Amino acid sequence: MELELFTALCTAAVAMAVPLLFAGLGELLAEKSGVINIGLEGMILLGAFAAFAVAHATGSNAAGLAAALALGGVWGLGFAYFAVVRGANQIVVGTAVNLFATGLTGVLYRSIYGVTGTAMTIEPSPTIALPGARSIPILGQALLNQTPLTYVCLATIPLMALFLARTRAGLELKMVGENPNAAATHGINVARTRTSALVACGIFCAAGGAYLTLDYTHTFVEGMSSGRGFIALAIVIVGRRRPAGVLVAALLFGFVTALQFHFQALALGIPFQFFLVLPYVATLALLALNAGDTNAPAALGKN
Amino acid sequence: MKIRNFSLLRPLGLLLVVACAMVACTSSSPPAAEPKFKVALLSPGPVSDAGWNALAYEGLLAIRDQLGAEVSQAETKTPAEFEEGFRDYARRGFALVFGHGFEFQEAAAAVSPDFPKTTFITTSGNTVRPNVAPLRFMLEEATYLQGILAAKMSKSGVAGAVGGMAIPSVESTFLAFEAGAKSVRPEFRTIRSYIGNWEDVGAAKEAAKAQVQQGADFLIHNADAAGLGVFQVAKSNGIFAFGTNKNQNDLAPEAVLASAVIDIPGAFVGVAKQVRDGTFHATITKLGMADGVVTFVLNPALASKIPQATRDQIEATRQAIVSKKTIVPSAEF
Repeated sequence: MELELFTALCTAAVAMAVPLLFAGLGELLAEKSGVINIGLEGMILLGAFAAFAVAHATGSNAAGLAAALALGGVWGLGFAYFAVVRGANQIVVGTAVNLFATGLTGVLYRSIYGVTGTAMTIEPSPTIALPGARSIPILGQALLNQTPLTYVCLATIPLMALFLARTRAGLELKMVGENPNAAATHGINVARTRTSALVACGIFCAAGGAYLTLDYTHTFVEGMSSGRGFIALAIVIVGRRRPAGVLVAALLFGFVTALQFHFQALALGIPFQFFLVLPYVATLALLALNAGDTNAPAALGKN
Repeated sequence: MKIRNFSLLRPLGLLLVVACAMVACTSSSPPAAEPKFKVALLSPGPVSDAGWNALAYEGLLAIRDQLGAEVSQAETKTPAEFEEGFRDYARRGFALVFGHGFEFQEAAAAVSPDFPKTTFITTSGNTVRPNVAPLRFMLEEATYLQGILAAKMSKSGVAGAVGGMAIPSVESTFLAFEAGAKSVRPEFRTIRSYIGNWEDVGAAKEAAKAQVQQGADFLIHNADAAGLGVFQVAKSNGIFAFGTNKNQNDLAPEAVLASAVIDIPGAFVGVAKQVRDGTFHATITKLGMADGVVTFVLNPALASKIPQATRDQIEATRQAIVSKKTIVPSAEF
């Protein structure tokens, strides 16, 4: 029973962490290039809606995912147009993205599925058991019996770490974030580098949204991103803007979220509000324990 | 650079305005009817939730269609928005503004002295002013019957209840569910969990999964849109769940055994008529099964799974509630 409980906790932790991880990795790229994107929440919501609507219309979750990623890329491009090309305040653009996404998904959902909602559902994405899923206790079930999108998410972490540390494009990206003028004198196109990072950020966020609808809840509800974009922003900071750090922070948040629901279900007689804040307290604690170097690019948020 | 930034604020500002307008307001005009009777609704969540908020929106449309009123709706999340929403509609000459839920009563009371010509109705609560009154739907009467059904059919003797926020109106429905269950099976337990909002389907899912892990084999929710996650958990675990507020039997026909349903449209039209005709008196109005406003609806697709004796007992209790022989407990608020 204890083992079973722990397996359920770890499985839930991974499921809760994946959308945060996707958005967090996207934000990591954007911030490394020197741009703060607080529009993660809106981009997740748009991805969630596009994935759901297309999957529902075509019956293909793969088509839904493709549509979400494409829309995420376009949205990232739009963000880059305002924030990079036109030099608008990044916080204002991000806020606009969030508000616009809430309005747009609401209007589209209501015009397609009816104003009072009909609770549409789609077929869940299949899970694929990798070798070892059955034989390895706890982690086998939590990590090796997941949807393809989860594997993609987890595989992205080492790849992104390699990209940032070992590739020319990754080093250029970091240079643009640290000192855009120096980068420009070395012949690096700052605007193009940042635009690419923001397009990637949009795609990552949309993947997180697509995971929410296609793999996790199999439905769409207005506002269902429920602040995940803002948690992802915090996770990037807690994770010290390193892919492995983002992974640890996202898993911790997911694990404590799952844990607090189990605490609530134990009916211990403690007010539930105490449990609801636990994930945030844990994230803060990790931030405090790990205080010091924020690893923030020198030109972050500056135009 | 500064000047360019400034010129940019215009398209961005426009974007903001459009987005806000899109999410906040849905107005529609009826065919010419004079003088204009204007009715508005403040909902705490999206009206596309196929539940609590959707019902209120249907009520608003019923007022438009049956009374020829001009109607408007806005989504408000925070106490500051509640008050601003009330003020905005009252200032624009709306005769009746609904605040859809317990959480709206303080804002209604705060705003009411400034707008004596507007009537503010909250769809729960206990705050009464000359032009503020709550309309309370006794959903407890139907969740009490759900409790009996769960206790009669459960193997484990444990049910899980997932709420959005722990407001008294939600807690009261769970309290009645528990009382109903205990009335036929005293050792029956109900686990309550709250997710802290009304939209996070994923969180509702995790909350319900944790309850199933603790032995729950019946699930009830009062979490509006997020409640969909509860139905999914019931479905994937082969257990039963109950629908709330709206008839949700068809949202998961193989899992939702019965729904506790409120006829909000009927109640809204009734109040709107009184306000229009000037016969409205501010008082706490309780509407329940005896008024035909609250009903208990079995899912016809699953009704055969319920033993006949249990169905008879539920029907007998239902009649006792309607005839006020059985008084269903509810939270004091």
